[in-house]
Amino acid sequence: MIQFEHVYKTYPEGNKALQDVNLHIKKGEFVFILGHSGAGKSTFLKLILREEAATEGKIKVNGFDLTNIKKRRIPYLRRSMGVVFQDFRLIPTLSVYENVAFAMRVTNVKESEIKKRVGYVLSLVGLSHKKDVYPTLLSGGEQQRVALARALAHSPKLIIADEPTGNIDPEMSMEMMELLTAVNSVGTTVVVVTHEHDLAHRFNKRIITIDHGTVVGDELPCAYTRGGRA
Amino acid sequence: MRWSSFKYLFKQGIHSMIANRMMTLASLGVLMVCMLITGFTALLTANINSLMDWLGSQNEMVAMLDRTLTEQDYFTIGESILSIQGVEEAEYVSKEQALQEMSGQMGEYAELFSELQGEENPLYAQYNIRITDPSQTASIMDTVSQISGVEIVHSPESLIRTFLNVQQWVQIVSWGLVIVLGVVSAVVISNTIRLTVFARRREINIMKFVGATNGFIRMPFFVEGMTVGLVAGLVASGIVIGGYSVIISKLGGYFVGWESAVQQVILPVGVVWPWVMAGFSAFGLALGSVGTMASMRKYLDV
Repeated sequence: MIQFEHVYKTYPEGNKALQDVNLHIKKGEFVFILGHSGAGKSTFLKLILREEAATEGKIKVNGFDLTNIKKRRIPYLRRSMGVVFQDFRLIPTLSVYENVAFAMRVTNVKESEIKKRVGYVLSLVGLSHKKDVYPTLLSGGEQQRVALARALAHSPKLIIADEPTGNIDPEMSMEMMELLTAVNSVGTTVVVVTHEHDLAHRFNKRIITIDHGTVVGDELPCAYTRGGRA
Repeated sequence: MRWSSFKYLFKQGIHSMIANRMMTLASLGVLMVCMLITGFTALLTANINSLMDWLGSQNEMVAMLDRTLTEQDYFTIGESILSIQGVEEAEYVSKEQALQEMSGQMGEYAELFSELQGEENPLYAQYNIRITDPSQTASIMDTVSQISGVEIVHSPESLIRTFLNVQQWVQIVSWGLVIVLGVVSAVVISNTIRLTVFARRREINIMKFVGATNGFIRMPFFVEGMTVGLVAGLVASGIVIGGYSVIISKLGGYFVGWESAVQQVILPVGVVWPWVMAGFSAFGLALGSVGTMASMRKYLDV
């Protein structure tokens, strides 16, 4: 699902963000990418989304070889995953329904299909009753759930959550994590990027720790059996 | 692309135009002014070309013959003229016919010519010579004037040369204007779209991360740019056509006695309007798409 082989990323100004990163995240796994600020988590995400290209090494995501991917193929790579951003990235001028539908419209889905699917994902995150509300009128937790609904809208095989609890209160954080666990339980791979050590250790999931651009730890969950989920 | 997606993107473009209506109106205004200047210059060029064509069709030169010669001599001269390469036709007009034609043109003053009959007739017998290529006027004129018995040769050669010069300059100026104003218009549209793109950069960024292709993202901006261009083109063509029809209707009053010549030279509104309308619309659409393309590149590179 996600494979990094001897990946290096050095920015033009000389900042060595990642050095010799090797990791393999399998289909259906739930993985925390843990690291404090400046450890290289954001660069890791940027490489997966192909916002940045690796300086060296091989990256494969959802069957796309990012080493040689053509520019016109990048949208299709991004459609194969759903991303929940720390700052939600919702469009304030669109309602909750339209924010979620928007993600499907860009992938050229039929209007009747959009209607059906948006209703479903909003019910999953418990926001059906707020479909006509604008994001600015929602709490941080609710906005994060809209962002998750948008990420789930086109049934991606992989969900990436960047600091999903960073801007919400502890109670909402737990709710968010439970939702991500539920998403993972139906076979979707979930990668949570966080700096919250406690959060990552509260769940019995695989934790990959990054520090100064290198992978310094890869803890498997208890009772983990190779090739399966915890 | 699905029809529903197309409708959605089209609506987005129109919505954006309305949301930024002041900027849209400003762009429309500047574009229209550019197009009006370009349009009137283009029509001036087209009419000068038409005048040149008309002058070309009037490529007649007149060879006036020695009054002392006989009809037989005139016939021999005619044969010599016809043998010159480039001469299409040579029509003999006796001095009596010439006098008759002239008195016919003088209307109420025709009686004044009644005194000038017979030996008193001051006019020359002449050949009206039509040539195939107006650019050979000077050399044919030279050859004709060397024929014995030809006294004077007249042709509109200097007039043609003057108009050729004018035509050349008008063409240079009008092309210069089209290029300069075209660039100005593209920059104006580009700036309008740039502002819209800037206002929606966050939305574009989100679109990129949820897998939108560049074509999908560009589409509403193209709709906006091309609609502004098209509306400016249609309004400007309406003004140009209206202004042109007023000008040519007034023109008749300044050329009393030359109405038929003016009618042959000036391009009628019926001929002009489809070209102006189609040209302006295409010009507006092209400017809209070029302007949009130029303004979007930066924000699509995510």
